[in-house]
Amino acid sequence: MPNRGGVITRKPFLSVVVPLFDEEANVAPLVSRVRASLETVSVSGWELLLVDDGSRDGTLAACERAAAADARVRVIPLARNYGQTTALQAGFDEARGDVVVTMDGDLQNDPDDIPLLLQAIEEGHDLVVGYRVRRQDAFVMRKIPSWVANRIIRALTRVPVRDVGCALKAYRRGLLDRMHLYSEMHRFIPALAVAGGGRVTEIPVRHHPRVAGESKYGPGRIWRVLADLLTVKMIQSYSDRPLALFGPVALVSFGVGGASMVAAVAAAFEFRPWLASAVVLPGIAVLSFGLGAFLVMVGLIAEVFLRTEASDAPRPLPAARELGA
Amino acid sequence: MGAPLVSVLVPVRERPEPLADLYREYSEPLRAAGIRHEFIVICQPWFEHLASPLLELATAGEPIKVLQLGQGVGEATMLKVAGECARGDVLLTLPAYRRVRGSALAALVGCMDDADLALAVRWPRRDSWINRLQNSVFHGLVRWLTGSTLRDLACGVRAMHRRVLDDTPLYGDFFRFLPLLAQREGFRVVEVEAEQHHGDDQTRVYAPGVYLRRALDLLGMFFLLRFTDKPLRFFGLVGSASAFFGLTVLAVVSLQRLGGEPLADRPVLLLGVLLLVLGVQAVALGLIGEMIVYHHAHQRRGYRLADRVREPSPKDARSAGTGPPDPPTSVGSSR
Repeated sequence: MPNRGGVITRKPFLSVVVPLFDEEANVAPLVSRVRASLETVSVSGWELLLVDDGSRDGTLAACERAAAADARVRVIPLARNYGQTTALQAGFDEARGDVVVTMDGDLQNDPDDIPLLLQAIEEGHDLVVGYRVRRQDAFVMRKIPSWVANRIIRALTRVPVRDVGCALKAYRRGLLDRMHLYSEMHRFIPALAVAGGGRVTEIPVRHHPRVAGESKYGPGRIWRVLADLLTVKMIQSYSDRPLALFGPVALVSFGVGGASMVAAVAAAFEFRPWLASAVVLPGIAVLSFGLGAFLVMVGLIAEVFLRTEASDAPRPLPAARELGA
Repeated sequence: MGAPLVSVLVPVRERPEPLADLYREYSEPLRAAGIRHEFIVICQPWFEHLASPLLELATAGEPIKVLQLGQGVGEATMLKVAGECARGDVLLTLPAYRRVRGSALAALVGCMDDADLALAVRWPRRDSWINRLQNSVFHGLVRWLTGSTLRDLACGVRAMHRRVLDDTPLYGDFFRFLPLLAQREGFRVVEVEAEQHHGDDQTRVYAPGVYLRRALDLLGMFFLLRFTDKPLRFFGLVGSASAFFGLTVLAVVSLQRLGGEPLADRPVLLLGVLLLVLGVQAVALGLIGEMIVYHHAHQRRGYRLADRVREPSPKDARSAGTGPPDPPTSVGSSR
């Protein structure tokens, strides 16, 4: 099978997915640049999916003009603005390609890099992530937060990808069937891909300054990224065995409770006259035991959920490659 | 074909008025405006006796269908069940009591060309200041928690395309928030001012439990609108705030212990531990929520396409919540 792991033996069909939000001025140049780049690519055919993420300007009309002029261009209009992650997933759901390439709609990515991504996919990778060399963005507002975020995400998810913010990526179809994006998970696509059993690599790509339109990022997303990071870490390590997450914390809690109990007994027998209170130490013991019991129960409920709900509609299994074949 | 058929859905759930009078009052203006329509009246089991005058009208040839539920369910489920039996492309929900003048219905149906859902706003209000105060407090809270500027969610008189009811996740007591949920699904929602019915002007004060339920509904709505996909952002914020205060307390008393003050007999130590415990519990619940969301993500479609190019997609298998608990029995029908 050509698209379940392993090396693609025939020429793949390529889908290029571009989420667009208020990018009216960039649509026409984007389409012609992508078309020019794909003339040289060795594929059996290609399609360009323009996902309009509820734009308030003329983006949708511009997309429909482009689609009317070229049958390979398709428009996917979302009913409202859902955000980048959901727009990408909508594109994945509609894409027919064996390989799917995503890029930003602001022309900061270079479509001429697509052949390089394809080559890395043909070498057997499930996900190829671009990293931007000589990034053309504001230093303080964009580059520094991005550097910090990349460092933290790399350290915690242990996925060796140096630029999680780069939209230029290539996916093998089989990986997309196992991975589903929601909320604002686009920052963690490499981590989710690894959690789904995918082989991930990264290659350098070009980056251009923004020509038209405005950047849609702002600061103040640190808290959200941290909460999402904790989620991804949990998904990566514990989504199949929640007791392994809650059990150790419960043990610590029981330990604290036990220690307080011992100290309370010691105080009661006046081995240590400074431990005078009859309320505080037993109180701490009760709270700690309570927390431990609560966590064990939460872990058990999660196991129940996994054994019942999640097994009703199982996820596709990850692909395994036979070595030396 | 002619004009599209409008199905008027009447859930009979609380304080019903004589249903035959209600039917006459509201069907007359529709008929006068030349709108083809049918009435689907759906009753809770304990209101079955109210249906007999309607059945007589139905036998006489009026376009009325009466449905009888086998068990008591929420109004959202009643609407879903009635919608299943309706044949019209435009659905009009009408409470079993008078809210607005009959002339409003035609205006609502008239909005269906360029809106997906039109809801009636009772304006000008003619009821007492107590009612209006309750209304404005409720909508102030709605605006504060959800950012919505809709003015009369309680009215219950709304016209919508069938796809709105089909595609909007609706269950339990959340029917009140149908316009909000529809907006979130990307439907166009408009408000239409309608003259308040003189039958709607008596002062209503409810039992305390009713207000508590409304407040809880609102809290649930706030959470569902903002955190369905990301529960940890809510629980994590609550939990880390609590844990942070707890740790601060613990740090302060530990430092004081180093300074020679005793540690173990200070009740504030208990407060610190309690806050820390609460924080860990909240984060644990958030993680459970995230786990549920993650494992359901691949069977749930998180977006809706704009209507102009809707094609059936293989991934259109959405979870539609729980189905109706019991198939309703049709008590009588016009045909």
